[in-house]
Amino acid sequence: MGKLKLLFFAAAAALILGAGLANPVWAGEKTGEEFQETSKYCLGCHSDAAKVKDITLPSGETLSLLISPEHLAQSVHTQVGIECEACHSNISTYPHPKQEYTSKRELSRAYYQSCQKCHSTNYSKTQDSMHAQAATAGNLDAPVCTDCHGAHDVRPADEPRALISETCSKCHGPIVEAYRKSVHGAVLIGEDNPDVPVCTDCHGVHNIQDPRTEQFRAQSPEMCAGCHANAEIMSKYNLPANVYDIYKLSWHGVDVSVYKARWPTIWHDSAVCTDCHGVHDILKASDPASMVSSQNLLATCQKCHPGAGPNWTGAWTGHNEVSLERTPFVFYVQSFYTIFVPVVLWLSVIYVILQIIRNTVKRVRRSMP
Amino acid sequence: MSQKAKPKAKPQPAGTARPATQAAAPTNKPQAERTFWRFALDERWEHTLLILSSVVLLLTGLPQKYRSAAWSQQILATPDQVTLVRTIHHIAAIVLTIEVLYHLGKAIFLLARRKLPGDFLPTIQDVRDAWEMIKYLIFLRKDQPAFGKFNFEQKITYWFLFFGIGIMVVTGFVLWFPVQFTQLFPGGIVPAAKLAHSTESIVALIFIIIWHLYHVHIERLNLSIFTGRLSEEEMRSYHALEFERLTGEKANPEGK
Repeated sequence: MGKLKLLFFAAAAALILGAGLANPVWAGEKTGEEFQETSKYCLGCHSDAAKVKDITLPSGETLSLLISPEHLAQSVHTQVGIECEACHSNISTYPHPKQEYTSKRELSRAYYQSCQKCHSTNYSKTQDSMHAQAATAGNLDAPVCTDCHGAHDVRPADEPRALISETCSKCHGPIVEAYRKSVHGAVLIGEDNPDVPVCTDCHGVHNIQDPRTEQFRAQSPEMCAGCHANAEIMSKYNLPANVYDIYKLSWHGVDVSVYKARWPTIWHDSAVCTDCHGVHDILKASDPASMVSSQNLLATCQKCHPGAGPNWTGAWTGHNEVSLERTPFVFYVQSFYTIFVPVVLWLSVIYVILQIIRNTVKRVRRSMP
Repeated sequence: MSQKAKPKAKPQPAGTARPATQAAAPTNKPQAERTFWRFALDERWEHTLLILSSVVLLLTGLPQKYRSAAWSQQILATPDQVTLVRTIHHIAAIVLTIEVLYHLGKAIFLLARRKLPGDFLPTIQDVRDAWEMIKYLIFLRKDQPAFGKFNFEQKITYWFLFFGIGIMVVTGFVLWFPVQFTQLFPGGIVPAAKLAHSTESIVALIFIIIWHLYHVHIERLNLSIFTGRLSEEEMRSYHALEFERLTGEKANPEGK
């Protein structure tokens, strides 16, 4: 009985704790006025240029200690009542304890640790990311939470969605520039299109992985299929939704699926979507500048099939169902075998069965007196 | 008479093979059962090569066709294994191609000298024979019709495989050297060749299992393609006309 009681309390404690995590404790029952108190207190000095002086860090950088109250007010944290000391937990008294940061970067990299107090899932995801690996390898410019989300002005990262590519462009400028011109990027940035992928749709959000690995390559067609095999999305743009299914049956597709399922850590050269369509600079297949337009297709094939002549592109059935107009040779072969196979097999089966019956009857008759 | 008795495969002092296309003179040894030459040595070798290369081609080809099947993955266990299986497939393909070229070359050589025997060519008589055979099979006729050296069943086997292997060899080379072939031919032949190669292999395999294996193993064990000879009994029951032509005797003296 005692054990059962203990279990009950443990469960209750877990529930309360869980609720607390989902709904940060300091957001609790306070009214809008009350919960701004420490912020007000801090801003008493930190919004007044007369009271706080810039600091020169040992690195020679100048660190401003001024915080714009307007800026701070826009932060999602301020709006739910999360105050300065939630993050600046090492500065809760005045005069402030001495801080030992030698550079701005060191300060950022120290303070972003605070994020995990509330955002532990996403925080730990970032620890597995390509960015974390870059940092471990010594690149301290690799982004931490605040580099993408902001610090005092944390705002929803995807409002508008184009903000995401802008965020990434802070470091990945040329790639985002290429993306901006792509069929996806153009309508995202121009029209705030809700369907096109932004950086994070393909690369992941917090646990962004190295896109140059065997694994990423082998799963990439599936990634594209996420939208391009979705009939609902594709019908909006008059695109066929069966391209992935047909690709999977192709020489390239079969190879890729075998590698993905069985040898995900072995590099393969069979073409995936991006090899032919491009990566960040994907254009409409009908665009003359596209890698798969009739002018460019041969050169695209030749990347893997050197020496291929101008007829070669005809070998590509182009994600299309077999049809007389597009793929006459395959169409004729398919039509021939559609008739030939059943005719041959049924005729020979029937003939042999008749022979078996006839020979059995003959033998039985002979054995009778 | 036409029991399914095994031909008493005579370990005759067969001597050197006589060309099967020549009238196979009955051996006139006393007491020894007469046997009839049917296939020359080179033809028997051709058949052996055909079996060996086809078996290797199937064993290495089917796993490639059914790559997602579990049994295929046992064979194609690693990328290196895939390369190895493909290499073996290509070697067997070369063996088969050499055999096909020999076969065609010999036919052309004989044709040029007007010595190509006509026994294996389809004739209108084969259609009649087939019709009579079907009548026999559905009990509209008492006796099996009498056939010549090659009956229509055997001619169907030959010609089915003649074209089947032709398709396999041509499409196989297209798949092996697609870049080179499309220098001359339209690109559309490559996916078409892939489809044909893949489908024809299965049709041919199933046809061989149903049709050929039944006729040479189940209906009766006909080893003449290996021994080169048929027994008198087999000649009388299955190639009566040829028997009569060779011996001048009646194949079925009692009329039954």
